[in-house]
Amino acid sequence: MASSRDDFIIAIRSAFLNKSTKQKFSLLTLFFFSIFIIVLSNLNFKAISLTKSIINEIVYRSSFIVSIPENFIKSTYLNLNEYTSFYKEYKITKEELDQLKSENISTSIIKSENEELKSLIDNYSFTSKKILAKVIVDHESPFLRSIIINKGSKEKIKIGTNIYDRSYLVGRVIEVNYTNSRVLLLTDLNSNIPVSITPGNVQAIVVGSGDKKGEIKYIKNDLINKIDNKGIAYTSGTGSIFKSGIPVGSVDLKNDNEKILINFYSDFTQLKYVFAEINELTPTPVEIEENDQTQVSSNTEQIKLDLISDELQILEDSNTKFLEENKELNTLTNELNKQIEMLKLENESQKSIIQKHSLDQKELEFLRLNLIYSSKCQSKKLFSTGFKVGTPEYKECIMRKGKISD
Amino acid sequence: MIKFEKKNLFYKIYAWLPILVLFISVFNEFDFNYLNIDYFSFNFPFILIFYFALKAYQRFDYLLVFLAGLFNDTVVGLPLGLSSLSYILICIFATYLRNITISPNLIKDWFYFLFIISLINSINFSVLFLFFSYELDITLFIVNNFFTFLFYIIFSIFFKRYLKSLND
Repeated sequence: MASSRDDFIIAIRSAFLNKSTKQKFSLLTLFFFSIFIIVLSNLNFKAISLTKSIINEIVYRSSFIVSIPENFIKSTYLNLNEYTSFYKEYKITKEELDQLKSENISTSIIKSENEELKSLIDNYSFTSKKILAKVIVDHESPFLRSIIINKGSKEKIKIGTNIYDRSYLVGRVIEVNYTNSRVLLLTDLNSNIPVSITPGNVQAIVVGSGDKKGEIKYIKNDLINKIDNKGIAYTSGTGSIFKSGIPVGSVDLKNDNEKILINFYSDFTQLKYVFAEINELTPTPVEIEENDQTQVSSNTEQIKLDLISDELQILEDSNTKFLEENKELNTLTNELNKQIEMLKLENESQKSIIQKHSLDQKELEFLRLNLIYSSKCQSKKLFSTGFKVGTPEYKECIMRKGKISD
Repeated sequence: MIKFEKKNLFYKIYAWLPILVLFISVFNEFDFNYLNIDYFSFNFPFILIFYFALKAYQRFDYLLVFLAGLFNDTVVGLPLGLSSLSYILICIFATYLRNITISPNLIKDWFYFLFIISLINSINFSVLFLFFSYELDITLFIVNNFFTFLFYIIFSIFFKRYLKSLND
């Protein structure tokens, strides 16, 4: 028993410590050295990140050179495939081009409108330019999906820079070196993309499945029915990880495992060249003017105060003026009221005169009729048919032109 | 059978072939570890390192294996040092097996290899998941482990032929 334990210990010691003539380091040294590197690479010291960056630069370039024969074979195979389906593709492309040309016009209009609106909202506008980058390493690991591009901090690429294949989103930069960067593809398990799905404008998050497709997660259950097959998913811009409105893929509901999947527009295995979008905050002309003012005039505040006090003085002056005017108007109103009163009185007297005049007219009419019909209305001694002179009945009879009422 | 004059340049290159293949496989975009087939992947460097650390350790420089691990981490995007650790662990276990084995047996080696790669993949998964917060699919690790185990036998036939040609 003791001898077997001794054998075990000897074997272990031999495995760890013994080194043959070819070996410069024992396995134990290399084992500890690996752990040391893992710990160091996890620390964010400047010297470490610089060393890491240098290693990356060398390894990526070497990897690119080593991959040249394989890439040549791959590209030759793809070229041959392309030539066989050349004419068919040409026709389809031509049709697509015509359609895209027409769409391009409306897109440029929308773009300019969007720019204007953005500048109105926050006085800043994003000027973005897309730079072409070559995929130098596309080392597809079963666990991690990333590519290396030949543009780095030298070309103002930052962590988080959006990467496109034509106008489709393919990923974002997660590691930047001086002349190259690593891009985490949308298919990676660690990739989360906030998207809007049309029609219905459903908000969701697409998570990379490690496969060719993405999976829609984090969506409200009642909104699932709103999603159509072949619906379009584009970035919503939530969280400012990706710019909004970039096409990501189309919805695929027809799958066996009842998951909502996204067919990415871009084929991540065929990426040769990609576009990196460099965003820069550009102040609008208004903002520039304001900035100039702050730089040039240190007395701006004083000038502003002077202007405000002048304005106040003007307001006070106008106020007193208005008060005087108000007084004048009051007196004028009183006078006018008096005039109205006088006119009223005059009116009353005129009315009474008119009334009197109408009475006189009635009297005249009575006298005229009396001359004609008095014989008919006067009472006679023999036949008492008329009325006594001066009575209202007599007057009434005269006014009725001598007709005696029953 | 290929025969070389010793000290010939071609012989030297031929003798260094395992290391060259290891470096090409970690640098090259074409990776046996990922053949773009659903649920199919195997780790070629694991097979190669285990076999040569076990059978032809005199021609296998551990420092170069360590460097190959560093390059693999850089190219794949894993935390620096993790693949080196895996490769060195394989070398350690292979050396241990060599020390305790009197009469080598391919089947025993094969199952011992399964144990080692399972252990190393578990360590890798745990380190990535717990310390570096990577989102990983354990199924892919299991599949990778299984196919690496299966392919060991096939590659060991080729490697055996290679060693034989080298020794002749």
